[in-house]
Amino acid sequence: MLPLRQLWVILKKDILLELRTKEMILSMFIFVLLTMLVFDAAFMADKNDLTTFGGGLLWLAFIFMSFLGLNRSFVHEKDEGCFDGLLLSPIDRSIIYVAKMLGNLILISVVEAAAIPIFTIFFIRYPYYAHWDHLWPFVVGVVLGNFAIAGVGTFVATLAINTKRREQLLPILGFPLLYPVMGPIVIISGTMMGGKIGALAAKQVAGSMQILVAYDIVFFVAMAMIYDMVLGE
Amino acid sequence: MREIEVNNLNKYFGRRQVLKQINFSVKKGAFLSIFGPNGAGKTTLVKILSTLERPTDGQVTIAGAVLGQDPTQIRKRIGLISHSPLLYLDLTAYENLEFYGTLYGVAGLKERAEFLLDQVELTHRRHDLVRTFSKGMQQRLAIARALMHQPSILFLDEPYSGLDPHAVDILDGLIDSIRADHTFVMVSHNLDKGLSLCSDAMIIEAGRIIFHEDKKDIDVDEFQQVYRRSVRGEM
Repeated sequence: MLPLRQLWVILKKDILLELRTKEMILSMFIFVLLTMLVFDAAFMADKNDLTTFGGGLLWLAFIFMSFLGLNRSFVHEKDEGCFDGLLLSPIDRSIIYVAKMLGNLILISVVEAAAIPIFTIFFIRYPYYAHWDHLWPFVVGVVLGNFAIAGVGTFVATLAINTKRREQLLPILGFPLLYPVMGPIVIISGTMMGGKIGALAAKQVAGSMQILVAYDIVFFVAMAMIYDMVLGE
Repeated sequence: MREIEVNNLNKYFGRRQVLKQINFSVKKGAFLSIFGPNGAGKTTLVKILSTLERPTDGQVTIAGAVLGQDPTQIRKRIGLISHSPLLYLDLTAYENLEFYGTLYGVAGLKERAEFLLDQVELTHRRHDLVRTFSKGMQQRLAIARALMHQPSILFLDEPYSGLDPHAVDILDGLIDSIRADHTFVMVSHNLDKGLSLCSDAMIIEAGRIIFHEDKKDIDVDEFQQVYRRSVRGEM
């Protein structure tokens, strides 16, 4: 039971610190709102109907927003050497990874939960949210996409923690690692928001889901296993 | 019985060798004070002993466990008080102790935290954010944090740095109260304090041990001369 308690106490600490400082969540939310303002200006000629390519634009905003937050996710740990305090503790390093990753996943998901309705209201003309057959694959796709971003992002943010250029390292290493799932994430969200689900599209979505699930499992397990190497052990 | 044993320890950062063929041991219950100029490798040595850095080569055994083979076992037995408090500034004093206590699986967590807060005279500030504490108060809380899991070996890296006289008295009192059943390794620039506390003294210069004696065999004047020459880089 101790590993679970350790995981929970790190996760609880991260959430508590974020609730008190709002360092990540505010900057992420403001960034995503500003991105939507840019979309509004850029696609005014099309009367802001982004139904056809909404998936791509949505994830463009979310991936940059996530990296902005992930860059800040180890700030508390760096303050006053807290990460050393964590590393001094007799806990399995994979527990640190899982706890930090879950914390990041929750924060990214909270910001997206606020941003998706705004994006939908202003840019999507098809009411995909009113159709259960469209809504659940959309939500599952978002959750799986967030899992991939949080998993890879937390791992790379740890790699970058002691480097001078950590804010550059995260996108430089993170984007190539996430590239294999960017297509599937966009296909799922775009198809569901577009509302045109024929047999071919349904097959594409199912295939994308499979790729995402496989990616999440493989990367999550691999990164949890090699996390102690990243920490220099 | 030897609590810490270091054999042929070397540490490189890139091409720069910061520790060169370090060999020493510390008996159970001993207090080793390590002196040396800035950049001598003292903090790197403490980081290796406390499992925060990996040696390039050599063997380190702490409390019977070999570093690199069983770090978790070592971590249960050691505590570190460094010049950084290792505390979360946006958690309260009590929350910090509760957090670290849970990571270590401390039994009777609340009682232990309250006891230590009382020992470091911070009970009245236990629900205040650490961010609002002075440097001295943060360092006192850092001492409580390091003692939460009742480690048998304590590493002290410049623990008196930034402390006011009252905090120095509290740290002295705490060290005194646990001295009998703990092993200490302290890095310090404060020669008088380090010599008054220690049972063994060591000087490191440019990554090498240039002096290591039992305190009772030390001629204090000679030791001070060796230390000053090492600080001036004349060794």
